[in-house]
Amino acid sequence: MSDDTWHVAEEDLRAYARGTLTAPLLWSADTHLAACARCRALLAEAGDPAALDAGWERLDAELDAPRPGRCEALLVRCGVPDHTARLLAATALLRRSWLGALGLVLLMTCVAALSTAATRTPTPFLAVAPLLPLAGVALAYGPALDPAYEMAVVTPTHGFRLLMIRTVAVLAAGLGVNGLATLALPGYGLRALGWLLPALALTSAGLALAPRLGPVGGPSAVAGAWVAVLLAADAARAAPGLPLAPFTAAGQGVSAAVALLGAGLLFLVRDRFDVCARGVV
Amino acid sequence: MTPTVSAFGLSLHYGRTRALDEVSLRLTPGVTGLLGPNGAGKTTLLRVLATAAPADRGTFTVLGHDPSGAAGRREVRRRLGYLPQTPGLHPHFTAFEFVDYVAILKELTDRAARHREVRRVLDEVGLADVRARSVGKLSGGTRRRVALAAALVGEPAFLVLDEPTVGLDPEQRMRFRELIAGAGEGRTVLLSTHQTEDVAMLCHRVLVLADGTVRFDGTPAELAARAAGRVWSSAERAPGARAGWRTGTGGHRNLGDPPPGADLLEPTLEDGYLLTLDEAGTEVAA
Repeated sequence: MSDDTWHVAEEDLRAYARGTLTAPLLWSADTHLAACARCRALLAEAGDPAALDAGWERLDAELDAPRPGRCEALLVRCGVPDHTARLLAATALLRRSWLGALGLVLLMTCVAALSTAATRTPTPFLAVAPLLPLAGVALAYGPALDPAYEMAVVTPTHGFRLLMIRTVAVLAAGLGVNGLATLALPGYGLRALGWLLPALALTSAGLALAPRLGPVGGPSAVAGAWVAVLLAADAARAAPGLPLAPFTAAGQGVSAAVALLGAGLLFLVRDRFDVCARGVV
Repeated sequence: MTPTVSAFGLSLHYGRTRALDEVSLRLTPGVTGLLGPNGAGKTTLLRVLATAAPADRGTFTVLGHDPSGAAGRREVRRRLGYLPQTPGLHPHFTAFEFVDYVAILKELTDRAARHREVRRVLDEVGLADVRARSVGKLSGGTRRRVALAAALVGEPAFLVLDEPTVGLDPEQRMRFRELIAGAGEGRTVLLSTHQTEDVAMLCHRVLVLADGTVRFDGTPAELAARAAGRVWSSAERAPGARAGWRTGTGGHRNLGDPPPGADLLEPTLEDGYLLTLDEAGTEVAA
């Protein structure tokens, strides 16, 4: 092995021997030690025999452990615990649906933004943007999209916690992409952020209805209600150039109230996410 | 012996359909078989005991923990392993990754300890050689073993297995029976099955469920003994028999009340099971 090859730093070797080296350096050290006799020799000098045995046992267990994917590794680098990152990113189906939802968000917000430039009003963008995080959340959890749903439900991890982990991740990604799209509309100032409170309101209300209507039915019902509200507001608008009621100050206040109410209701029904959805057999 | 599971008056309806009706039982360590025809309520009972679905009425405890509240349910689940009738596995996971995923859900958050446990259970079900292979590329029997490994993570005291041998070829079924027998050492296993051979080979006790009600609760020998003096052979199917079928030797095996002078046969577990269903008013297919 040539001298310019990367080796585990001595300080990291000592931490490894003590069992205090953390991911992702731990993973790098595990992989490297399996192939590098020089670092193994240094490790043998760095630690006491008991700690070294524990280290080898851990290495043995790690050799066939799943390698974290790029998304999971990124989450760990951002400080997310490795087990939480696996819940978020290790499931191929969830990963695909998640990325699919994000792609949908990006595509549709771009289309909405382009139509905004043509009509000189942000209304189409403001109407569509709140639905996209809601769609992502609806696709992130439930028996229809998680083949191991029934096995997951009967584990000690509370279903509400799993729901929240996935919801926060999907919502953060969805709101982030929407936020980037908003930056493409600088001419409208803060008005272009009028989607944010409705998005939070629709998401919390959709999740709160999920125990009764199902993980897809709840958000779908809320999405339908949002479209109905927009149509009614459009019919009641005094002049074509004026903003729709949900995007006025009063409308934003209502959205904030609905978001808080939905969050409160969701908290009250949290235990309903801890058993299988009715009809799952 | 102190029961691991005690259930009293469990009832559950789906709309107008009565899935469980006042089911009471006590389960002790060892393998208990749950026999019953399709639609008898076996899967519903297992899902209730596995805390996947709450009963409309009735209570049960697992090792003294009542799952009706969130805290008690969590304690029960910490002691539970569950293999559903159709275990869904993420096809793009490797066997190791899937079991690791379930281990995380079972609160094994320390990475090194969790990975040791995943290796242990995969070794226990004989999948050490395929742990790096994608679940979607494994045979049906092997996938079932991956799901069993996931159920065994964390050394649960109460293991619920819903028809684990259905759809397996004879060799796989025998392999699975060995695994279940091993899993039943030192823990309580509730095994739902259509196969009376499974019960005869594995179970120290058997429950027969029909129309959501427990029709029999005893040992396999006691179930077989219910047919003592009520099984006979004849050249043609006996007209008064409750059930009967042609055997491989060309004669007929009949169940019911034998005519005088009938050639009585030694009863089997299946004979006792079929007569129990007949007495419960359930149509016997034979």
